[in-house]
Amino acid sequence: MAMSSLPLSVQLIWACSTLAQLMVLVLLFMKGNSRKVPFFTAYIALNICQAGFLLVLYSISGISSAHTVAIAWVSECITLLAQALAATEILGITLRPYPGIWGLGWRAIAVTSALVVIVVALTSHGQNVQERLFELNRGYHLTFATAFIACLLLVRYYSIRVPAAYKMILGGFCFNSCVEVLIYTFIQILFHEGFEVHQPTWQFLTTLSFVAALFIWMVALRKPFPAEDRQIASLSDSEYQRLSPEINEHLRVLNEKLLRLWKMEARQH
Amino acid sequence: MNPAFLLLAGFALVLLILLGLVLRDPRRLGKPDADLSLSEEPDRRHVTYFPQMRQALSAEDFVFLSSLGSRELTRRVRKERQRIALAFLSCLRSDFLKLWRLARVIASMSPQVGMAQEFARLRLGLVFYLHYEMVRVKFLFGFAPLPELGSLSEVVSRLAIRLETAMNELGERAALAAKLASSLDGRDLNTP
Repeated sequence: MAMSSLPLSVQLIWACSTLAQLMVLVLLFMKGNSRKVPFFTAYIALNICQAGFLLVLYSISGISSAHTVAIAWVSECITLLAQALAATEILGITLRPYPGIWGLGWRAIAVTSALVVIVVALTSHGQNVQERLFELNRGYHLTFATAFIACLLLVRYYSIRVPAAYKMILGGFCFNSCVEVLIYTFIQILFHEGFEVHQPTWQFLTTLSFVAALFIWMVALRKPFPAEDRQIASLSDSEYQRLSPEINEHLRVLNEKLLRLWKMEARQH
Repeated sequence: MNPAFLLLAGFALVLLILLGLVLRDPRRLGKPDADLSLSEEPDRRHVTYFPQMRQALSAEDFVFLSSLGSRELTRRVRKERQRIALAFLSCLRSDFLKLWRLARVIASMSPQVGMAQEFARLRLGLVFYLHYEMVRVKFLFGFAPLPELGSLSEVVSRLAIRLETAMNELGERAALAAKLASSLDGRDLNTP
């Protein structure tokens, strides 16, 4: 069977990953969280489907044929898109009571993503299609992690309390993406024989990092998510428009005073 | 070794560290409730102690002590007062930070937040921090520009009064929202 051409370690970690995904999915339904995070649930289900699909594909066509690789990458693109949607959903739930900050968060994601995409495009120079696809994958994870960590920084800056479960889910996503970038880059740095030689190592390590993220999610999902009808005091838009420039003006004057203190001639009493 | 790879790996490591910091238990984070409590104790603000500070650091005292001919005493008093001035500057910073945080609370409560306004405030905060450190070093080296410190306190004080009014309004709204939320929770409990 073509599946047996994969190293045993990869097969084992793959089995662990599928088992962990099933457990996450069961937890989502058992605790009634699947209704609160439908995109995240769909993402986990899609990952399980992808594992099954790849198993069949590898069994039929082998793991190294160009046809198999192309189809596997298409399936990966779909799950990556689902990942972005699932993470955005969690962030959206967290920031729903803060429409102003959510608006700012969206813009932060867009600006950060655009910047990282430009940097990734400039630094990518794969020798062949396979290598370019791996670089594209790394670029996606880098963009994803940067954008969402920027958003989490924004959330922290505004002292917004994020429920622990949501924080763990977002943390799991970002952790997995950062580790994927690291793994691929270190493999590129440490081994010069070409990436294909180390594909099993890459598969093992990236799946291991995903399993770690799945365990984080399992912990997050052990309880039902908190109720979403959090109420916060809200200001009218005009009040913000009135107060914000005023406060900034005061802070600016305060800074000028401090600067003047610095520029003053030193004098003794 | 390709420097771009090293840069990428370094960036990913930085992101991992940032992630750890962001997800850390925010016990040291300023809480909106704590900010709101500021408005309940306006008399405790450090800037209100400025007249005493000015008196304690007035140049006349040093002139008088010098005229007595006691250099040792003058030096000791100056050192002691310099220590007090540093403590005062630190308290002033804490007042600034509290007010700055209040401004962020106002932003978080607003349905629409201006990117330019928020970015400007972030920049102001960073610049303040830089200036504060520079002035603190200046104090540490024994220079005490007190008249300027006075106008500095005045600015903080004016800002505090303005924000206290705003926060009183917000406090009322927060109470209303909490009441609304608890009534909603109650309704949910009664729903089969």
